Amino acid sequence: MAAVTIDSLLQNPTLVFRPKAKVMLKPPRSLDCSRNRKLPLSRGSCLCSFNPRRTIHVVRASSSETALIGNFDISSSDDILYKDIFPVKRIEKVEGKFFIRLDRSKDQHDWQLTVGCSLPGKWILHWGVSYLGDSGSEWDQPPKGMRPPGSIPIKDYAIETPLKKLSEGDIFHEVKIDFNPSSEIAAIHFVLKDEETGAWYQHRGMDFKVPLVDYLEDDGNTVGAKRGFGVWSGALQQFSNVLLKSEASHADSQNNSIESKDSKNKNRCLEGFYEEQSIVKEVSVGNLVSVAVRKSPETGKVIVCLETDIPGDVVVHWGVCRDDAKIWEIPAAPYPPETTVFKNKALRTLLQPKATGNRSGALFTLDEEHFGFLFVLKLDENTWLKFKENDFYVPLLGTSSVPGQYGQSDSTSEEISSKSYTDGIINEIRNLVSGLSSEKSQKTKKKEVQESILQEIEQLAAEAYSIFRSSITTVPEEVVSETETTKPAVKISSGTGTGFEILCQGFNWESHKSRRWYMELKEKASEISSLGFTVIWLPPPTESVSPEGYMPKDLYNLNSRYGTIDELKELVKSLHEVGMKVLGDVVLNHRCAHFKNQNGVWNIFGGRLNWDDRAVVADDPHFQGRGNKSSGDNFHAAPNIDHSQEFVRKDLKEWLGWLREEIGYDGWRLDFVRGFWGGYVKDYLEASEPYFAVGEYWDSLSYTYGEMDHNQDSHRQRIVDWINATNGTAGAFDVTTKGILHSALERCEYWRLSDQKGKPPGVVGWWPSRAVTFIENHDTGSTQGHWRFPGGKEMQGYAYILTHPGTPAVFYDHIFSHHRSEIASLISVRNRNGIHCRSLVKIVKAERDVYAAIIDEKVAMKIGPGYYEPPSGSQRWSLALEGRDYKVWETS
Amino acid sequence: MEVSVIRSCSQATNPKTELGFSDSRFSFGKFNEKLFSRKPNSVSFESPLRRGKSGLRITAQAAQSDRLPKSKSSTKSKTLNRIRLFAGLPLDVVSGGTVNQFRAISAGLKALKLLGLEGVELPIWWGVVEHESMGKYNWSGYLTIAEMVRKAGLKLNVTLCFHASSQPKIPLPEWVLDIGKTKSNIFFKDRAGKPYRGCLSLAVDELAVLNGKTPMEVYQDFCESFKSAFSAFIGSTITGITMGLGPDGELRYPSHRGFAKSGTVPGAGEFQCYDKNMLHLLKQHAEACGKPKWGLGGPHNAPAYSELPTANTFFKDHGGSWESPYGDFFLSWYSSQLIAHGDRLLSLASSVFSDSAVNIFGKVPLMHSWHGTRSHPSELTAGFYNTATRKGYKEVAEMFARNSCKIILPGMDQSDKYQLKESLSSPELLLAEIGTACNKHGVGISGQNSTVGAPDGLKQIKKNMLSENLNDSFIFQRIGAQFFAPEHFPLFIEFVRKLNQPEPHSGNLPTKEGTTTATDSVHTRSNLSIHMQSA
Repeated sequence: MAAVTIDSLLQNPTLVFRPKAKVMLKPPRSLDCSRNRKLPLSRGSCLCSFNPRRTIHVVRASSSETALIGNFDISSSDDILYKDIFPVKRIEKVEGKFFIRLDRSKDQHDWQLTVGCSLPGKWILHWGVSYLGDSGSEWDQPPKGMRPPGSIPIKDYAIETPLKKLSEGDIFHEVKIDFNPSSEIAAIHFVLKDEETGAWYQHRGMDFKVPLVDYLEDDGNTVGAKRGFGVWSGALQQFSNVLLKSEASHADSQNNSIESKDSKNKNRCLEGFYEEQSIVKEVSVGNLVSVAVRKSPETGKVIVCLETDIPGDVVVHWGVCRDDAKIWEIPAAPYPPETTVFKNKALRTLLQPKATGNRSGALFTLDEEHFGFLFVLKLDENTWLKFKENDFYVPLLGTSSVPGQYGQSDSTSEEISSKSYTDGIINEIRNLVSGLSSEKSQKTKKKEVQESILQEIEQLAAEAYSIFRSSITTVPEEVVSETETTKPAVKISSGTGTGFEILCQGFNWESHKSRRWYMELKEKASEISSLGFTVIWLPPPTESVSPEGYMPKDLYNLNSRYGTIDELKELVKSLHEVGMKVLGDVVLNHRCAHFKNQNGVWNIFGGRLNWDDRAVVADDPHFQGRGNKSSGDNFHAAPNIDHSQEFVRKDLKEWLGWLREEIGYDGWRLDFVRGFWGGYVKDYLEASEPYFAVGEYWDSLSYTYGEMDHNQDSHRQRIVDWINATNGTAGAFDVTTKGILHSALERCEYWRLSDQKGKPPGVVGWWPSRAVTFIENHDTGSTQGHWRFPGGKEMQGYAYILTHPGTPAVFYDHIFSHHRSEIASLISVRNRNGIHCRSLVKIVKAERDVYAAIIDEKVAMKIGPGYYEPPSGSQRWSLALEGRDYKVWETS
Repeated sequence: MEVSVIRSCSQATNPKTELGFSDSRFSFGKFNEKLFSRKPNSVSFESPLRRGKSGLRITAQAAQSDRLPKSKSSTKSKTLNRIRLFAGLPLDVVSGGTVNQFRAISAGLKALKLLGLEGVELPIWWGVVEHESMGKYNWSGYLTIAEMVRKAGLKLNVTLCFHASSQPKIPLPEWVLDIGKTKSNIFFKDRAGKPYRGCLSLAVDELAVLNGKTPMEVYQDFCESFKSAFSAFIGSTITGITMGLGPDGELRYPSHRGFAKSGTVPGAGEFQCYDKNMLHLLKQHAEACGKPKWGLGGPHNAPAYSELPTANTFFKDHGGSWESPYGDFFLSWYSSQLIAHGDRLLSLASSVFSDSAVNIFGKVPLMHSWHGTRSHPSELTAGFYNTATRKGYKEVAEMFARNSCKIILPGMDQSDKYQLKESLSSPELLLAEIGTACNKHGVGISGQNSTVGAPDGLKQIKKNMLSENLNDSFIFQRIGAQFFAPEHFPLFIEFVRKLNQPEPHSGNLPTKEGTTTATDSVHTRSNLSIHMQSA
């Protein structure tokens, strides 16, 4: 709680309160802070929020490296087999102070607002004023005389003034704003920005506000503290009404009348105050980890010497491996001091401080037969340092490799931030709520705030719902009810087609190159249809900054590298003629801007949807959006669209409707849906009523020490959660199944294809009707190859997905390759036997080298080199087709 | 008392002491604004700030007797905001020592907070906490919840469940069931001698049947252990404690076993006086009344559980045994045993928590089937001697008033029009009857919805909140998948938001009525603080 020094008030009109509040600043995240600094008697606490973002900060290799190498603690450098220096980046909290001071300037006539910050950084005060009688929440630019030198106007409503150190020795960066209290200025509003990191000290329009209204200049010494607070409590009264939509106007007039009455009855003066709070900024700090390997001439053993300049206790979590697969093993003792065994998988050694310098290190003595030394660093319970999301790896057998083998210029490890999801949410909410409290304003704002609270509530409820729901029936209900729907149901449920769909991805990464893809594809329409495909996914149609179409600009301009809008219509028409449904690839997460704002940042859109920066999420500092914070992950290459804005949603719904109408699309493939809340997708799909829709929710599977976990429930849960958020209006690509197939096929670990409950381990095992199974697409394969399916095993993959429930999707490159006839045969087996997205799978074998399953008791299949034949019981099985390491039977 | 009145006034007018960010509810501001800013100069109720300064004091009595036209405070002018809204946490939110669905609960709490709810209700099970052996308590999971609730800025109403739950399955403590294996007479028994293992028979309350201790002593130890384990929360986060009083926590006999199938007419239920100890008490009582033959067993002509009341002659509308002297003898004894049991438990709770600033609640069932008959069979078998000719809830309300406890009434979502006609059921009439009895004795009423749900339930709840049937709080049952489901949650949001909107026309009330509103609300508030001080 705030300590209020009242006695000082009598001598000198300065109020001191020191709330015990901390402001956290996180560089790559938007920082929202709003504090009841105006309310000395309230539970003045400072809250802030951040959305975890995945920004990688590159620490440039610097000259300090050489220094470290020079100091390297190795007795003789002759026998060094290997040495390397890994730059690591970690987040360090730097604590400092931030203050706001209002006092008279030296000449005693004018007043001065000073804002200072003691943390290093490139601090900018982004500020404006409001005038008496202003009704909106908008800022105005301050009069010229008020602007300190070096100020830059931002549009017509704000200016930015850098904070400077008055002299070299100063602790604080400061900015001083002089003003005349008799002017018409009602309040000064500001937010603080750290240009260096992009951190904002702001909360969507709920800024710091220093009200100047209602004060008279004289009468300074006779006014007591309480009356001074009256203004603040007025703000609170407002706040308490903020959520009452229907009564807003009524409430307002009431409060206003009270306030104005107050101000007439009591003379108040402009009271100076000084307020200070601690501020914590998280800065990324570069450190180095140096590793050297040498051979002990006496014992013949290999000695790994690891050293780092990371301060504090650093634990090395380590092991050795036998081969390139880098599978962790525990070497034989002896171990360095302070070593413990962790779950029989790894060792943990606390680095010992070195006598000289602020470094710590350890020596590991190993037998020479080991192939490599693997480690990660653990800074505390939740903070790990890895090397580019992988383990650090030090070859032991390799001789005399050169330092820098990992390419130091960009080899930066990332910190895995431990901020849990829920923490993020709670902060967000607190922030939202406290933001309200500090706002003393306008009805329009109130409504927005209400809306955003409602949205917040809905999101939370959706989260709670999905967890409760999934924990009631660990296998979601649908699996239970599946027996009922095994009959071929022609009923079309929105977004999932008939249930018998087979999807063709109708392009690859190179398709734009010919500039006449639509026409080329049109030639193949009947051919694709005859293979048995029912749905085709076309490339993104809009004008785009990148030729492939995933950086859309003007959404209504459908002339792209793939062809013109008319060619597109023609293609869609031809596809319809051969009985196929057509999916448009829509990029809703982000959009490239047409124009720069005053700061030179590209965030103003053109074309028919000429949105401004309110349509851009606020938490990507690169694009200076004025919208709300993103409801999902950020895509960093373009401004991310703020779907919480009503006008954005309205426009997008209209656009989707237009695409349906004008082009004839039957449904959507939704790009990067991790970027925004599934609830919005639901909104869009309900408005555009697609026949089929599938979202790309692609994130990483779980791995432990480089090896994929058998249990990928959390991964598929995230996808299922998203589908849930859309209310099941869309399916999602079954990334889980693809990932598990990778491991199973590549490493001959077919046991992975059954989960603990004997069901398929991917999304298809939990929510088959919403799982769109695939083994490759334009990103994972094609010429990009971000995550290519194991070579030569594609047909095993297709034998799996084309016989299993879910909606299988086949990649263009595979259709038009030597796999074509095999794929066609698999599709015809699927169609002949009426396998559909809800078919029942019975897994009969999931062993090291073979996986076998019977689907709907009509189709049997096996993949893997191992042996399997379907049982010769009442059913008579006949071999339908056979290929490399797979076989498919059907009942005859 | 004087202090509390003034305090409540200053609370109401001075939001800055009360309102931190955590009070950003949909409701709060409304309350203040309506109360004070609209009529700041009303003659009868001055701006309290000024009054406080001039030292004018009005005692609670004055407010009660002079200013409040009790029954006249028209429902029309009543605002709903003063009804504090809670939501019940899942019954199995804790099992073993751990919190289930932690993430869902924490997201849920945040959603409720944002929605403006006062708090949540947490069922704490005897069978979870004192599971293994007598006197060995494991509060850990519940402490975690309390901490989560505190962090979320919500209040907590704790229900101490000395009963078992069938769905989800939460039995009585293992050691109690073990004792029950050999001594089945610690449980209620029906005419067929079938024990009810959902709670202990009230007849053993003061018999040392649990390893040398009486159930009352065991309950007391439990309450005291609870009190010390949660001392950091009681009075701050924990504002209410509901004492479990019998089957499903309700003050009643387990006269209906198992769930009635929906769509079927429920039977009359059976009297539960056949365990050895109940029979013994009955015998004693009969002998004392000089009618030893009446003490040999329960009514011979009562129907079985699922039979209609008319299946036998006891409940017959005219000339049924219930109206006979024997009937009166038996029913008086049967119901007085239940009230005495409630009295024991509530006075136990009141004394254990006497120095804590919490409200004590007890739950009374809404046995509304057959309320349309003269004999009210469901109420009679459940232990409430309430018929067309006898007002039976008076004694119940008196007992609550005596212990300064508030009553929880479930079934606030049930409306007459959706009842099966054949069951002659009337939840609304019964609720009004109980409500009147409570109001007469100044017993605060907290509402609950039925767990089975009802069509148009939210509408009915709102209606009840506007009536005198409810004046303390409402506990919505219960959080879970269903609660947050897209089919339900938006309706709930709408419900909560609507609660805070005034009834039509209330904004244009003439001055006089406006005054009534203010006084009414202040009365309630002062009442509350008085309670807290005397508790």
